[in-house]
Amino acid sequence: MVKKKQNPNRINYQEGIINDRLLQVRNASLSNDPQVKVVWTVNIRAQDSQQFIQFIRESVQDHDPIAFQHIKRIKKSEQEGILTVIVCSKTFVEQQDDFLELMKKSSLDYFDVTDRSIVPSAAPSTKELSLVWSTLYWPLVWRGNPNDQTMNEYVFDMPFIENMLGAISKEAARRAQNTTEQPIVSAFVNPKTKKVIYSTDSRCSSSPLDHSIMQGIRSVAASEHKRQMIEKEQTEDETYLCLNFDVYTTHEPCSMCAMALIHSRIKRCIFLQPMHRTGALESQSGDSYCIHNNHALNSKYEVFRWLGQEYPVPEIENDICC
Amino acid sequence: MDLEHHLHYMRMATKLAKYALDHDETPVACIFVYTPTNQVVAYGMNDTNRSLTGIAHAEFMGIEQIQAKFGALDTSVFQNIILYVTVEPCIMCASALKQLGIQKVVFGCGNERFGGNGSILKIHQDSSTAPKNKYWSLPGLLRREAIMLLRYFYVRENERSPKPRTKANRKLDLTTFPPMDWSSYLSREDFTNIYGSAFLKFYDNRLDLSEKLDWSLIDNNQDLFFQELQAKCEEFSLQTSKKSKPETVS
Repeated sequence: MVKKKQNPNRINYQEGIINDRLLQVRNASLSNDPQVKVVWTVNIRAQDSQQFIQFIRESVQDHDPIAFQHIKRIKKSEQEGILTVIVCSKTFVEQQDDFLELMKKSSLDYFDVTDRSIVPSAAPSTKELSLVWSTLYWPLVWRGNPNDQTMNEYVFDMPFIENMLGAISKEAARRAQNTTEQPIVSAFVNPKTKKVIYSTDSRCSSSPLDHSIMQGIRSVAASEHKRQMIEKEQTEDETYLCLNFDVYTTHEPCSMCAMALIHSRIKRCIFLQPMHRTGALESQSGDSYCIHNNHALNSKYEVFRWLGQEYPVPEIENDICC
Repeated sequence: MDLEHHLHYMRMATKLAKYALDHDETPVACIFVYTPTNQVVAYGMNDTNRSLTGIAHAEFMGIEQIQAKFGALDTSVFQNIILYVTVEPCIMCASALKQLGIQKVVFGCGNERFGGNGSILKIHQDSSTAPKNKYWSLPGLLRREAIMLLRYFYVRENERSPKPRTKANRKLDLTTFPPMDWSSYLSREDFTNIYGSAFLKFYDNRLDLSEKLDWSLIDNNQDLFFQELQAKCEEFSLQTSKKSKPETVS
């Protein structure tokens, strides 16, 4: 983890902008949503708390899909000398029988098993919100805005990014001049080899569904098919779907393409032109789907929009799904 | 709504899903029906294993078959096509179907992870994806059969996995089903318009249309059915190519 001060990137945490050029695209409504989860709690004697925490660390913490980093595991109960402890989420252990089975691993005394408490699984974005949620749900620890940490941990190869954006911008301009197709262009970058596969929109000549993203996903698969034919064995450039690929695209993807990128397990998408009516990534676009950052989908990728004027894109009609 | 009519095609989709399960793919399958003649025009099963992509869903396989028959660029044929699919289309497929202008989608169980016809997003009725092509989607037909096929699949996958997951996934539950939450997919009013007020007890009590599972769809081998299905789809293309040849010149 880099210290904020040592980060090579200039980060505007307030606005979510990196190096004055890359805007972090995320679901604006999420930062105020606690996404509460039900937890199993038990009461214990205050003198057992050390050992109890030890038990949770050893037997529960690593297996529970919900992390409780911003939550105080232990709070005072109404009774003197008695503490209430969060053992695990109900997502992790659904049935009471299974919970009691888990508790057998600890040799300590406990009582009042319940699944009646709910806690925020999302960390609050401001100190004020942290206090509100602490009163409303369960005592929290304020560790700063979690998105600052996220922003601080992003890694950017700016010259490479600019190179890619320049290439798709140029190709889109060329296609606007020389073809009757929509001038929408994407580039898929293999995370290991940095090999680039370019793809273009061909809805007017092959199929209305052949958007540049869909074509790019198929090209990556075709390239892997070819590799398997020649190599027969694992080589460095082996790919699984588009796992951890970076995708560059001229126009903000539509609902089909944004979801296809989820299915393809990409790491990051950077686009140039927002599509206010048909886009499925920005909070301000279309139906505010933010498909890459939707908690119900349980799978996500990073999205950034380039803010500079360096890489122009041909204008297309605003009701086109890209 | 003629429920028995739709169930007839859902049974075919369910048989195809069983065929997929027996041939090592996800038990999700679909049938496309050309409504002017009520003929099956195409079918689809997941092809993610062979295709090496995460996007070769059953719906796309069927769409490609239709495009091969009618040409891909003129999408007007989709106005006359109903999709019958065992599991609610994902967001990507719901969007693709809408961009093509599908007439209607009928499905078995919801897709709680990726569903695009109500479970996660309502692409079929939204205003950002080809809004002029809004379509109706009818959930809950042969839902228990669809769920059961998925359970067979997950139990088998879990057995094969080197590190089996939770206890709950290990045993096959043959008897209990989660309540059918119709309201994720349809308002009470829309439900009444589509299924009729006699069916409101299902909506209000979150019940399945049928408590009884048709086990023959799940237990029987469907290899023969699959051959017949392929033949049916081929037959359809012969008929249309005869009729539509003069038209395609213009």
